[in-house]
Amino acid sequence: MSNHTTTPPWKSLVALPENIWRSIFRNPLPSSDLGRASTSFTNFFLHLHPVKVHRHSLKAAYTLGLGLISFFLFFILVVTGILLMFYYVPSTTQAYDRMLDLRGTVAFGIFLRNMHRWSAHGMVAVVFLHMCRVFLTGSYKPPREFNWVLGVLLLLVTLFLSFTGYLLPWDQLAFWAITVGTSIASYAPLVGKQMKFILLGDSNVGQEALLRFYVLHVAVLPAILSLLVAIHFWRIRKDGGLSRPEEEDALPADAPAQLEVMQGPAVVMATSPVAAAAAEPVLQKRHYGIQGLVRGPFTKIGNVPDRSVFAWPNLFMAELVVFLITVAGVLLVSLFFNAPLEEPVNVMHPPNPAKAPWYFLGLQEQVSYSAFWGGVGIPATEVLLLLLVPYIDRKVAGVGRWFARERLLANFLFLTFVIVNVVLIIIGTFFRGPNWEFVSPW
Amino acid sequence: MKTQVNPAIEEGGDALTRRRLLSWLSGFGLFGSLIVTVFSNLIFIKPRATYGQPNRFSIGKPEEFPSGARVSLDARRVCIVRDGDKIAAISTTCTHLGCIVSVSETGFSCPCHGSRYDQDGNVTGGPAPRALPWYQVSLAPNGEIEVDKDTEIEAGNYLRV
Repeated sequence: MSNHTTTPPWKSLVALPENIWRSIFRNPLPSSDLGRASTSFTNFFLHLHPVKVHRHSLKAAYTLGLGLISFFLFFILVVTGILLMFYYVPSTTQAYDRMLDLRGTVAFGIFLRNMHRWSAHGMVAVVFLHMCRVFLTGSYKPPREFNWVLGVLLLLVTLFLSFTGYLLPWDQLAFWAITVGTSIASYAPLVGKQMKFILLGDSNVGQEALLRFYVLHVAVLPAILSLLVAIHFWRIRKDGGLSRPEEEDALPADAPAQLEVMQGPAVVMATSPVAAAAAEPVLQKRHYGIQGLVRGPFTKIGNVPDRSVFAWPNLFMAELVVFLITVAGVLLVSLFFNAPLEEPVNVMHPPNPAKAPWYFLGLQEQVSYSAFWGGVGIPATEVLLLLLVPYIDRKVAGVGRWFARERLLANFLFLTFVIVNVVLIIIGTFFRGPNWEFVSPW
Repeated sequence: MKTQVNPAIEEGGDALTRRRLLSWLSGFGLFGSLIVTVFSNLIFIKPRATYGQPNRFSIGKPEEFPSGARVSLDARRVCIVRDGDKIAAISTTCTHLGCIVSVSETGFSCPCHGSRYDQDGNVTGGPAPRALPWYQVSLAPNGEIEVDKDTEIEAGNYLRV
């Protein structure tokens, strides 16, 4: 024991804060590439990201950050939604009073409800814009076909989430919007009537419908959405990151000549012999192990120069900025505009006109011409076509650029679809008055 | 213990061994119970009893409805029509999207999408796909009129009181 230096017990006390900190955060702020890499993959939240990300993926003008904004709006919705659940009761006799309480007595109640409502509207809009971005940049092309399908499903779940939330305040707006909305569902052939009955739990909108929509809104649909979002994010990485033009993957002029870009599944190694040959001799003694299989032309072997940058700090800072801007935007809107709350439900007097939520007003406008075609036939065809887009359009040219010339026809068709729907929504929102007659908003 | 591999299984043959039979049977049992469980959940969410309005109700004595009256009972979603000694109940739920139609001079009109019906509930305009249904009306033993919304009758069938 004589040659063993014993540390006095107080020393561990002095080191306690640092030891605790170190046990949580394994890395100091990184100053080297190795540190930046290990910061990314030793942190639970950061390891969902790749260690390195292509420069093109960070271009704000390319992505517009719409996917991130959608996700952050969902995050805000989850937080504010859980808080609102503390005061809400899904009962036809109490729900509306609870809305008044949020406005009158609950501290920050009205503010949280505003945030929830505007984020929900925002999410519907941003998810749709995100879809437009992905289409107009040709990002659904192989290998990203299935992620596009997931995206379309996410849009549908988002709409359904927003729709189920619409009923909960139990005011006139809510009641009649849901009456109109669920009747549209009943026009579906064969299963329509059954679907409406199961959705409402009764033949009319009432207590059962309120309870069912509440359960769907706070438990079922958020769980489905979270799962789909997780797969959506995971697939981005597995499909080789965000889409980019082919020339972005071309190697810089000074890249080693023997480097191969592999087609088909490639074995990814911790360090590759190619890089080792060019690097210091010490690397040659390394053992190589299979780390995983990656598909597609994105597999890159070795530490050769390319156009990627470390996720820390480049990607994380970009995400942080988008998050802060999203929160600030929602806060700002919530400060100045209150979420609508009309009179309590009066089952006997529908407002005239009775309008669905704005994102369904295009649908309602179509429905006013033909119940089946406007409410079921055309929307179902549109959704089916959207789901099949990557399997119909198989040309691989023009990926990764906005409005690529090669994609003129596809973009033209898609924009026609977008504009027709937007115009229908505008007509339904501003140009329809009592008895759904044409009115001028001026 | 040395594991005995059944030669029939090892060769991938089709012989029905005891092990294979038991595997199939237990497999059917286990997967079957899973499928039945999922199916029972689907049945579970479809309510057997509803708590809303009953579909069969009485609306009072015939004397309460004078001749020529067209009284819309919005809570019940029917319009009671009396013409002389004839009485009938016409649905006021718009066949288009379920809004309540209101009684107008020419018949019925819907505030939601502008559907219009004539006095007998036939569509005269707007997106409504079919006429308003007529419900069975009967005279209960206590002299009150009973409306049964579960039984639709042909338009023009009045009850004589």
